[in-house]
Amino acid sequence: MDLIINLVERTGAKALAWWSSIYSVLSFLGEAFATLAMPATWNRATLDTIIKQIYFTAVQILHVYLIYVVVISWVIISITLSTARNVGLFDQATEMIIRVLVLELLPFLTALLIALRSGSAINTEVALMKVYNELDALAHCKVEPMRFEFLPRIAGGVASVLGLTIMGGVLTLLLAYLSIYGLSASGLYPFATTIASVFNMKVLLGLAVKCGFFGLAVTALPIAAGLETPKKPFMVPVSVLRGMMRVFLALVLIEVLSLALKYI
Amino acid sequence: MFADAKALAGAIQDISAETAACVSPDLPLRANLSARENIALIPLYQKSRGVAEATQLAQALLDKLGYATIGDKRDPDMTPAERFVAKIARALILNRQRLIIERPGAMLYDIPYPAFLHELSKRIDEGPARWEVFDFEWNKILYS
Amino acid sequence: MFKHLHLKVGLFVIAVMALALGFLFYVLNARGFFEQQQHLNLAAGSAEGITPGVPITFSGMPIGQVTGVTLNDGGGIVIQAEVNADGARWLRTDSSFTLDKPIVGGAKIKVSSANLDSPQLPDNSTVLLLTSDPSQEIPVLIDRVKTILANIDHITRQDGELASTLANTRTITTRMTGKYGVLEGVLGSEENARPVANSLKNLENLTTRLNQVSAKVDAMLVKTDRWLFAADGVSEQSRQSLAQVHAMLVDAQGSLKRVDALLKNAVDISANIKDGTQDLAKLRAEVDESVSKANDLLNDINRMWPFGSGDKQIKLP
Repeated sequence: MDLIINLVERTGAKALAWWSSIYSVLSFLGEAFATLAMPATWNRATLDTIIKQIYFTAVQILHVYLIYVVVISWVIISITLSTARNVGLFDQATEMIIRVLVLELLPFLTALLIALRSGSAINTEVALMKVYNELDALAHCKVEPMRFEFLPRIAGGVASVLGLTIMGGVLTLLLAYLSIYGLSASGLYPFATTIASVFNMKVLLGLAVKCGFFGLAVTALPIAAGLETPKKPFMVPVSVLRGMMRVFLALVLIEVLSLALKYI
Repeated sequence: MFADAKALAGAIQDISAETAACVSPDLPLRANLSARENIALIPLYQKSRGVAEATQLAQALLDKLGYATIGDKRDPDMTPAERFVAKIARALILNRQRLIIERPGAMLYDIPYPAFLHELSKRIDEGPARWEVFDFEWNKILYS
Repeated sequence: MFKHLHLKVGLFVIAVMALALGFLFYVLNARGFFEQQQHLNLAAGSAEGITPGVPITFSGMPIGQVTGVTLNDGGGIVIQAEVNADGARWLRTDSSFTLDKPIVGGAKIKVSSANLDSPQLPDNSTVLLLTSDPSQEIPVLIDRVKTILANIDHITRQDGELASTLANTRTITTRMTGKYGVLEGVLGSEENARPVANSLKNLENLTTRLNQVSAKVDAMLVKTDRWLFAADGVSEQSRQSLAQVHAMLVDAQGSLKRVDALLKNAVDISANIKDGTQDLAKLRAEVDESVSKANDLLNDINRMWPFGSGDKQIKLP
């Protein structure tokens, strides 16, 4: 009997902990959007910090990212083409490449890269700010860290995921064309038709929204996790660990949801 | 004010942030911003000044305090005195009724700080006329 | 470390925006957003496999796509489609529209314009959508013909079942039709027994003829295959060759029918004779099966290609 009560209690505690972290994330996001809606936020200083964040999140790793994209895309395009040729579906290869690589894999990998590189850094930084009382100092000065620390990071993250995905996607389409048709211009027309049939406005909009949510997940979740850190230095690694787990969970959830909305 | 650790902590807690600007070892500078940026944050985000104006205000304050060169330094690169000056400037620019310096000995551990404080306060003519120092009772003799 | 930070970010943002806008323009252009679209209504019996986005192709090149599928007041299916201005010039008043639904891969609507001198198809015209393209079915059909021919061949080959059964029956009947034969005793007289012997003689001739027929059909099929994959005149020549296949099959079927009748006769006559009857019954069952297969096939062919008068009804023996 005690065992059952214990189990129920533990489940309840777990559920409450989960709920409180979900609630803190949601309230943080709500605060972020509320700040975004304030006209006072839109000044030169915020813009400057956003530019700085885009620089750190996207521009600094652009060359590395593009190399990754070329390698991954080339491998997957080659596999898809040879498989398609073997099963006699070569006509559908372009569509398969676009659907698998450009619409699903690239945005996901981009978000994952930014989560690993910037998300973890953001999480650590916010956790350290919390542990070393920097947030208390800012509160004492009545300066909202949301406006110059958090919001620019979120905006920079969303812009970076979107921008990198667009660059990677166009690069992948170029690679796909070269792999299928070579340097000749003969494939331009059928290629354009395939792209046109896959990318209707709904798909384009869906891709943009998905990338936006990815960008939100890889920045807002680490910040929220950092803010939850207890004021003990040894809790910083734990906070990063939790934050990154949540980011991964959120990325998978967004991907699954987007697929469900698209194909069901 | 001089008291023991417990009484001091209680007294600090009673001070409202609305009326008093604190300089305290518990209120560090933002680590990834320079001294000037740390000070400029307040006119920038609290008083909605432009970037250029806020930066100018911050630098002017540092000039007045006699530490014009620390503007570009970040927290870890500053000496305790420089860090303290940056904190004082941040508290001054808040423009509150009182200026409270809490446990200066914890921040200025490598210099005779009462004299340093006195020197510093003479360079500033604006803000609160009196700087209030909250220190431990056993440090009282240092101020005489 | 932060050298040219603004410049780099500016370049990045401009590059991303240019790519995004460029891609959007490219997609819109490819989707025919900037060009005049010709609208087309396709009437079909069933909307199965047709959804918005199904491409319309001319000679394998995509020229348009289905935009919507609706039911009209009469319960018929109306498929709305758009064809880009460039592709619309291939649409003629006598163009045929067929739905191609492969076993793997997506459905598409194929347009074939046999006569490019015909007048252009006007905008918003309604045309009939055929659900299967006959030329696509030829290889499948030829496979089935081959199977049936192999069957006939199996039954009629020199050392095959028919030959041995017939030899067997011959021995029995010779014995039976002799002066004191059993058959005479059963049937009453030698006169009555003679038709059975004659039937069996006919049967033998027929077997030879069947063999010839199947050899001929085999040769025909080889030719058909060659024509099907020839570079020019696929459609017309394959049609001719299939007409010949058809004739051959009708021939073969006639022969088989006669074999069947004779066997039936023989079985009836010798119904009460134990020896040899079992074999004959089995053989008859096999011939029956072949005949019904050939019959099915001929029905199919007739349905797809109404050769000749088309009133030829094929009946099972």
